[in-house]
Amino acid sequence: MNVMGIIFTNDGNVGELTNKRTMASLPFGGRYRQVDFGLSNLAFAGVRHVGIIARYSYQSLMNHIGDGEEWGLELGEGGLEFLTPYASSVNHSYRGKLESLSSNMDFLEYCDDDYVIMIDSTVLSNIDLNKVVADHIASGKDITVVTAKGICNGKKLMDFALKLDKNGQVEDMVCDYAAPAEYQASMDIFVMSRQVLIREVKTLVAKNWFHMDRDLCMGGWRSGKVTVNAYQFDGIAMFNESVQEYFEHSLSLVDKKVREGLFGGAHPIYTKVRDRVPTYYGENCDIENVVAADGCMLDGTVKNSVLFRQVTISEGSKVENCVIMNDGIIGTGCELKNVILDKNVTVTPGTKLFGTKANPIVIKRGEIV
Amino acid sequence: MYFQKKRCIAMLLAGGQGSRLYVLTEKTAKPAVPFGGKYRIIDFPLSNCVNSGIDTVGILTQYQPLELNEYIGNGQPWNLNKTHSCAQVLPPYERHDKKQGWYKGTANAIYQNIDFIDRFDPEYVVVLSGDHIYKMDYSKMVDYHEKNGAACTIAVRNVPLEEASRFGILNTNPDNTIYEFEEKPKKPKSTNASMGIYCFTWKVMRETLIADEEDPESSNDFGKNIIPRLLNGGHKLMAYNFDGYWKDVGTINSLWEANMELLGKEPAFNIRGDERFKIYARNSAFPSSYIDASAKIVGSFVAEGCEVYGTVRHSVVSVGCTIGEGALIEDSVVMPGVVVESGAIVRHAILGENSKVCRNAVVGGAFEPNEKKKISVAGKGVVIEENAVLAPGAML
Repeated sequence: MNVMGIIFTNDGNVGELTNKRTMASLPFGGRYRQVDFGLSNLAFAGVRHVGIIARYSYQSLMNHIGDGEEWGLELGEGGLEFLTPYASSVNHSYRGKLESLSSNMDFLEYCDDDYVIMIDSTVLSNIDLNKVVADHIASGKDITVVTAKGICNGKKLMDFALKLDKNGQVEDMVCDYAAPAEYQASMDIFVMSRQVLIREVKTLVAKNWFHMDRDLCMGGWRSGKVTVNAYQFDGIAMFNESVQEYFEHSLSLVDKKVREGLFGGAHPIYTKVRDRVPTYYGENCDIENVVAADGCMLDGTVKNSVLFRQVTISEGSKVENCVIMNDGIIGTGCELKNVILDKNVTVTPGTKLFGTKANPIVIKRGEIV
Repeated sequence: MYFQKKRCIAMLLAGGQGSRLYVLTEKTAKPAVPFGGKYRIIDFPLSNCVNSGIDTVGILTQYQPLELNEYIGNGQPWNLNKTHSCAQVLPPYERHDKKQGWYKGTANAIYQNIDFIDRFDPEYVVVLSGDHIYKMDYSKMVDYHEKNGAACTIAVRNVPLEEASRFGILNTNPDNTIYEFEEKPKKPKSTNASMGIYCFTWKVMRETLIADEEDPESSNDFGKNIIPRLLNGGHKLMAYNFDGYWKDVGTINSLWEANMELLGKEPAFNIRGDERFKIYARNSAFPSSYIDASAKIVGSFVAEGCEVYGTVRHSVVSVGCTIGEGALIEDSVVMPGVVVESGAIVRHAILGENSKVCRNAVVGGAFEPNEKKKISVAGKGVVIEENAVLAPGAML
């Protein structure tokens, strides 16, 4: 039994942070990009064909992933393929996942795998996909949707949520709805047989239907044309669907349980190697509850924060509840609270920036403030 | 197969046992010993090669090669796995005439791999050691060698006169040509110490290796035999002065010192240094490190994948270590995967890979600034039991 993977790179919905990048290339957790989670999940499931559907702003993503070497996907036969709009002549502006799959029908038809795992780049998890595929096959259903408990709360607008009965069978589905707590959130991980997926994409797109959740899963299920299985994932699932969620989830990494769930789960998470030196903690630094990547020079006070690679915190500066991406430089005597600094931001000496937990200040890539 | 002709290739001597590192090299070849938080000693010469534009490296292994071979792999971390580049591990092998076997000496190791070198038809061969910590652009030395039309160029550094008798000393004329080599002289005539880094003109080296092999009296060593043989043969030998940081990490104390010399605001060896002269290492997929509210870290390197709850002062903590609450690490080198449980005290120590210091155990001690430091060492995978004491200078 062979399984292939499709990764959707997802349009940005995290404000300034995804103006010029896809969700897949959004940095997360000090040294990762969101796509690393999906790629690692697929790589550890032994998948040998991975298609990355990228629509726009994919330069930084291609630079990050390269030939997939870091994930063991630089294979002579198969391996990693970027499916960009230029690869197809049919439809450049996909309205939904089904349309993007339709545009890349050649890839789907060329791969000879039995099953397809589709995974997106907004929801982060460390999941054993072999178990999901096994569950899918055992269920005998057409589609398996991976779901997470504790996400729906009646307030958060859910793209796709499912209500399951006591036996785990699908009882109801909703799309774009603030589903109540008894619903489970779709983690946007789907498993289907490749032949069924090809058939469904062709027939649905022919009728001008394009939406994976609404048209294929919900529509198909309601009309009885497809059967849907739910795989309940009980690990950590991070839905980074807004600046607030991204900020909150980033800072939650100071919690050991969260770190263990995300990085110590089914397998390690791989990312691009940068060959930085270890982080240096200077004579004056005071570091509390901090997640720090490599290559940093820390000489100030940092609390409850996430520091990416090669960040400099100068003496006399105070950083609290912040996410500071690669190459950030905080000059002397600065004070930052509830701030997200995108890559390569320089904060000049003495600058004070105060956001709130609910509304962190976001500084754009490369800015000097 | 097609082999591209190379101007210069490197041969890296990585077969030494490193017996003066005792427990740290019981199961590991010296070049594979961890250094500086995320590196291994061999990363330095290998990265130097790549940064000097040398893309073909033969690595001569002999002693406990498993871990070293695994580490080098196909040379991918150093970009030595491309179409016209290689990091080729060269272990000793059985020959049809049964004449050769284990590498008898440094020169014999190269002699046994003449075929490997011939494939690239190089003008020059750089011979390196796998136990030195330094950053050096070998291409400058090769250019110097070529410009002087030498048969052999040896990198030298100035050492204090009182220490000169511990080194191989090269006595030179004012134009830097070498007229004499003395191994550990009792009364040194100069302070030009050989760094064990050689550049040879391959044609001359090839002939000399073959001649040396035929000499039953020879111990087939570069310093003892090849250099004197070249001098006696009337060849031109040059000294190449290098004044950057360089350290032989062949002893426990020098390995500890070299790690300590990475620390501080203006470290003796700035490993961060030039962005274009990076040291590359094989990376393990560790997440970012976590520093707890109870932790206190001062003047130290902490690599990735660590969880720090205790106090770390003036130390190098490598990838994947856990330092428990209330534990103290001071003036120490903590190698990858070490666990130090709460309340343990570790001072002036090297904790080998995956070793464990259990609750309230005490390793090593404190010394006066000018006192000779006695470094305590826990070997690879060693467990120091709860409340146990490993005395200053002791090894386990």
